[in-house]
Amino acid sequence: MRRLIENRFGMLALVLIALGAVYGVAFVSRPAPAAPVKAEPVRAPIAAVSTVCPDPGGATVTAVTPPNAQGTGQTLIEDGDEPATVDEPGKLWQKTMASGTDPMRVHATGAMASGLEAAQTRRALSGEARGLAGVRCVDPGADAWFVGPGPAAGDLRLHLANVESAPADVALVVYSGEGQVIADRASGLLLKPGEHRVVDLKKVAPSPLVMALNVSTGRGRVAAAVEAATSEGVDWLPQTTAPAGRVVVPGLPGSAGRRELYVAAPGESDAVVHVKAVLKDGSYALENRETVEVPAGSVVTLDLSTGVTGQPAAIVLTSETPVVAGLKIVGTGGRTDVAFTAGAPPIDLGSVVADARSTKTVTSRLILSAPDAAADVTVTLLPREGKAPDPIEVAIPAARTKEIILKGPAKGFSVVVMPKTGSGPVYGGRVMEERAAGGQLVTAQPLAVARTWTLVPPVAEQPSAVLSQPS
Amino acid sequence: MHSVTAIVVAHDGSRWLRDTLRAVLAQTRPVDRGVGVDNGSRDGSRDLLGEAFGKHSVVQMPRGSGFAEAVHEVVRRLPKAPGDTEWIWLLHDDCAPDARALEFLLHAADEYPETAVLGPKLRDWLDRKLLLEVGVTVARSGRRETGLEAREYDQGQHDAEPRGVRDVLAVSSAGMLIRRDVWDELGGLDARLPLFRDDLDFCWRARAAGHRVLAVTAAVAWHAEASSKRRRRIAASDDHPRRLARRYSLFVLMANLPFWTMLWSLVRNTVGSLIRTVLFLVAKQPAHAVDELAAIGSVLFHPLRLRRARKARKGSRAGYRLVKPMFSPPSLAFRRAWEMVQNQLSGGGPMDSAGRHHAVQQPGAEEGDELLNDDDGFLRRAFASPGVRLFVLLTAVAVAAERDLLTGGMLGGGALVPVAGGASDLWAFYTGEWAPPYVAVLAVLSTVAFGKTWLAVSILLLGCVPLSGLSAYLATRSFVSYRPARVWMAATYALLPVATGVVAAGRIGSAVVFILLPVYASLATKVLADTRKPARRAAWGLGLLLAVGTAFAPILYVFVAVLGLLAALSFGGVRRGVGGNLLIALGVPLILLGPWLATIVQDPVRILREAGLPMTSSPRLAPEALLTLNPGGPGTPPIWATAGLLAVALGALLLRRHQFIVAVGWGVAIVGVLAATVVSRMSTWPGVPLAFAATGLLVSTALAAHRVAEFRRADGLRKAGAFLIVLVAFATPVAAATLWIMDQADGPLRRNVRSPLPAIAEAQSKPGQGTLLIRTADTGLTYTVLHGRIPVIGESERAAYGSDFTDAVAGLASGRGGGDAAALAGRGIAFVSVPAPIDPALRRALDSEPTMARVTLTDRAGLWRMTGPVTPERPPAGDAWHRWWLYGQGALVVIVLILAAPGARTAETEAIEEIPAGRERVAA
Repeated sequence: MRRLIENRFGMLALVLIALGAVYGVAFVSRPAPAAPVKAEPVRAPIAAVSTVCPDPGGATVTAVTPPNAQGTGQTLIEDGDEPATVDEPGKLWQKTMASGTDPMRVHATGAMASGLEAAQTRRALSGEARGLAGVRCVDPGADAWFVGPGPAAGDLRLHLANVESAPADVALVVYSGEGQVIADRASGLLLKPGEHRVVDLKKVAPSPLVMALNVSTGRGRVAAAVEAATSEGVDWLPQTTAPAGRVVVPGLPGSAGRRELYVAAPGESDAVVHVKAVLKDGSYALENRETVEVPAGSVVTLDLSTGVTGQPAAIVLTSETPVVAGLKIVGTGGRTDVAFTAGAPPIDLGSVVADARSTKTVTSRLILSAPDAAADVTVTLLPREGKAPDPIEVAIPAARTKEIILKGPAKGFSVVVMPKTGSGPVYGGRVMEERAAGGQLVTAQPLAVARTWTLVPPVAEQPSAVLSQPS
Repeated sequence: MHSVTAIVVAHDGSRWLRDTLRAVLAQTRPVDRGVGVDNGSRDGSRDLLGEAFGKHSVVQMPRGSGFAEAVHEVVRRLPKAPGDTEWIWLLHDDCAPDARALEFLLHAADEYPETAVLGPKLRDWLDRKLLLEVGVTVARSGRRETGLEAREYDQGQHDAEPRGVRDVLAVSSAGMLIRRDVWDELGGLDARLPLFRDDLDFCWRARAAGHRVLAVTAAVAWHAEASSKRRRRIAASDDHPRRLARRYSLFVLMANLPFWTMLWSLVRNTVGSLIRTVLFLVAKQPAHAVDELAAIGSVLFHPLRLRRARKARKGSRAGYRLVKPMFSPPSLAFRRAWEMVQNQLSGGGPMDSAGRHHAVQQPGAEEGDELLNDDDGFLRRAFASPGVRLFVLLTAVAVAAERDLLTGGMLGGGALVPVAGGASDLWAFYTGEWAPPYVAVLAVLSTVAFGKTWLAVSILLLGCVPLSGLSAYLATRSFVSYRPARVWMAATYALLPVATGVVAAGRIGSAVVFILLPVYASLATKVLADTRKPARRAAWGLGLLLAVGTAFAPILYVFVAVLGLLAALSFGGVRRGVGGNLLIALGVPLILLGPWLATIVQDPVRILREAGLPMTSSPRLAPEALLTLNPGGPGTPPIWATAGLLAVALGALLLRRHQFIVAVGWGVAIVGVLAATVVSRMSTWPGVPLAFAATGLLVSTALAAHRVAEFRRADGLRKAGAFLIVLVAFATPVAAATLWIMDQADGPLRRNVRSPLPAIAEAQSKPGQGTLLIRTADTGLTYTVLHGRIPVIGESERAAYGSDFTDAVAGLASGRGGGDAAALAGRGIAFVSVPAPIDPALRRALDSEPTMARVTLTDRAGLWRMTGPVTPERPPAGDAWHRWWLYGQGALVVIVLILAAPGARTAETEAIEEIPAGRERVAA
């Protein structure tokens, strides 16, 4: 030892050995590379739902909560002076309202909120309003998009209702075939808490034959719905998804009749939209209609009758510029009726349709599309009366559409559609048709995500949230 | 016909008096009468006066009498000489006039009959050519201005042509020739000014009365300025002459100025004095600071005395317009301020505010440097110090590397909260609740930085490299004697990967520790090696600074404690008191940070955290990075950057003579790297332990480095070897600087950080209400709560809101409805802010929440407001203990500061400083 220390190189050797030892410690203790743990969102039942049926007068209102939630809860249906309460999941509440009823709020809490769905369907066999006109009762929101015929093609009425406790400032933006419509009356609509109002869109923008309408609030929230009464028939325009680069318009029935697609590019730049139809036997670009050019701020109509009519379908639009889209379904017969479907989200967490019927004259079709990957779906019927039939399993191959004719009790039923885990995204729609004298009555509704579940994101308290992430 | 009475006032001045008297008696124009006054001398001055003027011409005064009193006494007794123009010639005992002085003075008096006061040109007693003054004036700050440069030699450059006289505001009382009628008319020198500025006051009054005051440049007198230079004890007052001079200058100014001008001057001087006090404190000249305060205080707190003096000077104020043009120009004030800064930077003489009594400050003190310092320019003086050169160079490197960080909006990112708020916010936070103690340190620094927290943080963080270089250079002067090695060591230390990593990641805690680490090393050496008293002081100082560092990065304390224990084991037996001193050094942080450390003990993981936002680091730091002192993370260079340092440090092991020191250094380094490994594997950034390791290596290598100088002087192979070693050694700092500049200080730290709090929320939040900030991150959502403003540094360490709150936030973000929003409102949340990128699902969830309303939504941010009732969060209940603890902590800091303060004017540091100077010469 002593010789080692006295040697000129002894100390160097000792230090080098020590360094080697430290290196070894550091090397051994180095943990294996850990894959970044990505916390998955957790599904949680929805605790409260509030929805508004925009114009229930003369229509049948259906409200239902699928029977899968645990615990207790209550649904309150604010039917004028005699509010109804339901506290039993799986039970349909249905009532035909007297005409002139104000917008109705359906509010559910606890277990009853999990999957609450409400819809109104009006049926008239004669007169101006002849036809089937149904709409899913809407959630109050800050932003809503509608695509369909314009005020020049018929009466378009915008139903606005503010059921919140704060006032709502509503602004309307109308896009026509010629571009965005600048209108004085389009802004400054103030709805006090509890107030509801019907806006005749002719007074806002009289000229568009086709239109895309954006209802947005500066503050507060509003429940918005658009009723279209054209020469071809009446129906409600369903809310479409917000402008996006990929829009799926599901729910084209396999029955005859004209199909007309509306595409709007509400942004600042023109859009080149690729159109594809997802049919029973595959997904195709339509001949000669592979792409549509949509000038910025305007709406373009595309007749899809040849190629799509007679086949259940979903239309997939892709574009670099965000677009919104809607689709008109025209019934057959001497006096026609129309129905509208629109861009819809995938129903990953399931979907509920409140109102469906199946009688001798009425056919309810469920059209399900899996444009990306194969999907397995369970369809359950919730009858108004009687025992529920066994669920139906439906397998949809990738890039295919399937149509299911819903056969249930005559008194009406609700439909619960639940994709199985591992399925690809599923889009769908429900179409109801009625054979009637003079011509077919029709109404459609794209499937919306059920209000059953919500995804609770992983959340952490972190003081460093004051800083934006380095880009 | 003139009749001149020379009055020589003596007070313990026999050293000079003999020459003075000889000169008075040898005048070519002899004095008519000579009178001596002895102010109670104890050194035989009285006898000397008696010999010169005769026993009866000597007046005996008590010891405490002032100069003015003495002259008054003589003039009162002096019989009038009828028919003649009578003159009084005042002479100090240390002021010897030239043989022809009186002749020239009287000649000038003949030429300009309206003259009442004349004075000779004064030169230094010892350095006979050195100019002291040619008449004086006064600045508006009360400063006595001679108008001369420091140490100006008389080459006739101030001699007035053609007649050799200059109109001046005042002349010194040394050699002052006064017409007696004017003396009588004005009441003579003011006896209330016993020592200084009596001449200025009298001449001011003479000027204001319409008389002329002349400096006669042909007449010369040599003056020793014995009182102001403290060559003798002053009996007239117990105070330091500097304080007296300052006090009397202010007094004279206030007494003679017209009322409104005086008020303005009073305000100005009060403010000026306070600033100077602070500067003196910063310059570690507490005695000057006390003098400054005492001087302005004695004027401010004796208004009656001032009123009496002003009453007696009515005439002087009336003639203010005659005096005003004689003041020194205002531009001179700025020049003086600049000189003060220069002196401060270059480490020149102490600052001076009273105005040097004469042009020379400390003759003799600089005599040795005289020949070297013929060019006294500021830059040259400053750059003569390698430390300053290094600092400037490192600053330039830092500026080049941080070019994108220097200007712009809020600084933030990494571990640094966007720096907002001022010193008052920090103080309010610190005194309002149990805040981490480093907030207090930052509050103090912000207060010094004019209340601007951003300035203090920028200096600490962005200036981390030059500051640590400077601290390494200065702190090691006591034990690394070879100066080039010190420069190398400081440069290498300042540019270690730890330093650049600290800057890039905004780790202000590590930055403070990194700057302080060399100081710890220096103080620890003193504690272990110094004699009793300095060692004790160093221990207190080490304790205090250790408390500061521990507050910023608690892990520091663990290392110091371990090393301290080792030191106590190895030195405890050798030197008495080492154990006690180490106990002091390690105990002070425990006491000063007591309650905070207690909270850390409860949650030991926090010992790994440092000041600022928690920021994890990869636990997979490569072993080779650890061995090359590279802590990894943003802003650190490739691992080969420190290769030169390691090579030199390994090479130093081969030097036999220093093997022990170098081995100890390597020991510290290896312990540091081991600790760094442990810390790093716990996902903590190992900056502090690696800085320790580097310090060990650098100090031991630098200690051995003077051998390189020996090699250089040798020839052949050894010389080449020395050259190679220097090349390798300097490769590390040069490479680090180059890489740093090339890569820029690139990292999470950046400028123009967007305020996390929307303006509306900031404006509309009521006290107790919070804004929930939700951000989308890779791992999901993160949130924090802001309380009506951007959080100040340290607020992020508040207690967490807890899992209930987190669940409510998750529920709100999921849009499941229910009571989540109400639960948040019940905890004081009034706003929910979501900065871009806004997750559409989150936006939908917030939009669909019935009890919330959207305020704004743009591409950059969205803001929602609770519409329901918001229960303001109750501020934490006033903790009685907290208040008492703050008082206690403040008192403890003051006590430790006093105990750590250097003793009164000891010269120990200079003694040490001389060694390197000698060594350098050897090296050169």
